Amino acid sequence: MAEKKMARFERISDVGLNILAYVILFAVVLFTVYPVIWMLLGSLKTPNEFYTNVWGFPTVPLWNNYIDAWKMANLGPKFINSLIITAGTLAFVLPLASLAAYAFAKMKFPGSNILFYFFLLSLMIPRGVTAIPTFSVVIGLGIQNTRISLILVLAALNLGFAIFLMRAYFLSLPKSIEEAALVDGCNPISAFFRVVLPISKPAYATVIIFTGLNTWNEYFMSSILIRSEKLQTLPIGLVSFIGQYQTNYPQLFASLSIMTVPIVIIYILGQKQFIEGLTKGAIKG
Amino acid sequence: MKKTMLFIRKYGLVYLMILPAIIIYSIFVIYPMFKGLFVSFHRWDGLSEMKWIGLNNYRFVFKDQIFWNAMKNTLLFAFVVSIAKNVAAFFLAILLNRNIKLRTFFRTATFLPVTLAFVVAGMLWSWMYNPIFGLINNFLKLVHLEIFIQGWLSDPKIALWSIMFVDIWKWVGFHMVLFLTGIQAIPEELYEAARIDGAGRWQSLFHITVPLVMQVTIVSFLLSITGAFVSNYDLVYVMTGGGPFHSTEVALTWIVSTTTRYAAVGKGNAMSMIMFLIVLVFGVFQMYFSQRNTYEM
Repeated sequence: MAEKKMARFERISDVGLNILAYVILFAVVLFTVYPVIWMLLGSLKTPNEFYTNVWGFPTVPLWNNYIDAWKMANLGPKFINSLIITAGTLAFVLPLASLAAYAFAKMKFPGSNILFYFFLLSLMIPRGVTAIPTFSVVIGLGIQNTRISLILVLAALNLGFAIFLMRAYFLSLPKSIEEAALVDGCNPISAFFRVVLPISKPAYATVIIFTGLNTWNEYFMSSILIRSEKLQTLPIGLVSFIGQYQTNYPQLFASLSIMTVPIVIIYILGQKQFIEGLTKGAIKG
Repeated sequence: MKKTMLFIRKYGLVYLMILPAIIIYSIFVIYPMFKGLFVSFHRWDGLSEMKWIGLNNYRFVFKDQIFWNAMKNTLLFAFVVSIAKNVAAFFLAILLNRNIKLRTFFRTATFLPVTLAFVVAGMLWSWMYNPIFGLINNFLKLVHLEIFIQGWLSDPKIALWSIMFVDIWKWVGFHMVLFLTGIQAIPEELYEAARIDGAGRWQSLFHITVPLVMQVTIVSFLLSITGAFVSNYDLVYVMTGGGPFHSTEVALTWIVSTTTRYAAVGKGNAMSMIMFLIVLVFGVFQMYFSQRNTYEM
């Protein structure tokens, strides 16, 4: 009898806890998602509606806001610049970080610990610190005000964290996998390319999402290194857009949406791999 | 000679694998860092000749009230957001680890703000905080809680807290994913054994979950601490620019103002070096703890 009561109590409180979990989770989701939905709704309103109808849907969605914002802030070239710089940064970070991370994870060599900490230092260097000296290095190399200068600097800044994440992933792989390859006569490098690389998709997805996000969203370094309007990226364009057209908020929101929506779509598509990669990084970190 | 040859044959390949990363990283991050240290001993406006003035820049910095106030704000910012993010993320992860429906939806939705640029998040929230047209004050009016209506970004007493909230909002999903993966790695049998021994929910939580996610907690907490120190520039710059009356000034915004607006590049670099040393202390803690923990496991 008493046992039955206990069991029922457990069951009820389980249901109760679940209800509590749903309530809290929905409240949190409201907080995280609603501002983004609100941005999308706001981007479709008339300036007048934007102020009077704060909460609801626009009466008639004004898709023209997107076209006008695109033209006025000249977002086309900025979008392309952002794409080139993000892709370029990844083209440096992915091969360099994965080779280095593999060496740190799987090989023993003098100085491996010190070199690994040397890369981790980049997590501790305040972004403002290196900006001006970096600019003078870029001038010294004669590549000032070019896309490649920004790509190299952003790649260098992102290498540390990428190595950190990938090393953790490689550490989590069982040793037997490459040992088999080595027995089959591969050298470490070809074992890496033939055996380790194909099963490391989650690690690459994590680094692509992280470095990609960092680069796509980067404002500070870009604003210092890029001096001409035609090389500007989206974040710089947006910041100068507020300065110039402060009055038209729906158009500003349209341009914020243009910058955000592609990333959200990529994240939703890649999240399974991404979370798996992050998992190993956190546990083995 | 023979020894060197052997060394190269044995390790050459490994060093070759790391070399490209070392080169780029040294040229664009490490060298500028040393260059910054060098500049910090000079008077320099960024254009004309540098003039060696020894430790004078550091003396100026020590007398700079605004800098120390900004440093205080930075510390407050770093600790408040790190604690809030990790505590909230931990409990959200516990909730999400329950056997509930829509799990992927909740996880994706909580992570959504992580994908936004600071520039976007900052502009969005500046507008939500707008005293007249913003969502927050309108909501408070709607539920008749007018007493809580604030000038969220214009009142020097609360502006920094308003910005901190945005930073927490943006990152909580990231830390939640970290904790979730840590919690899911705990074997179910441990909880069952505890239940048989008569442990309640809270006891399981504090005696099993909390200690076993320690490794994740350390990584997560120190990532958020160092992150809050080195990268809160964009958010503060977009939302308040450090105002009103320097009340939201953080070290990075003041360093940038000093270097660019007041053209005191040497002094700006001196501030940067002081800040780097402070962050380094936390970094060394991180390495120490994560190393020690790995050995114990």
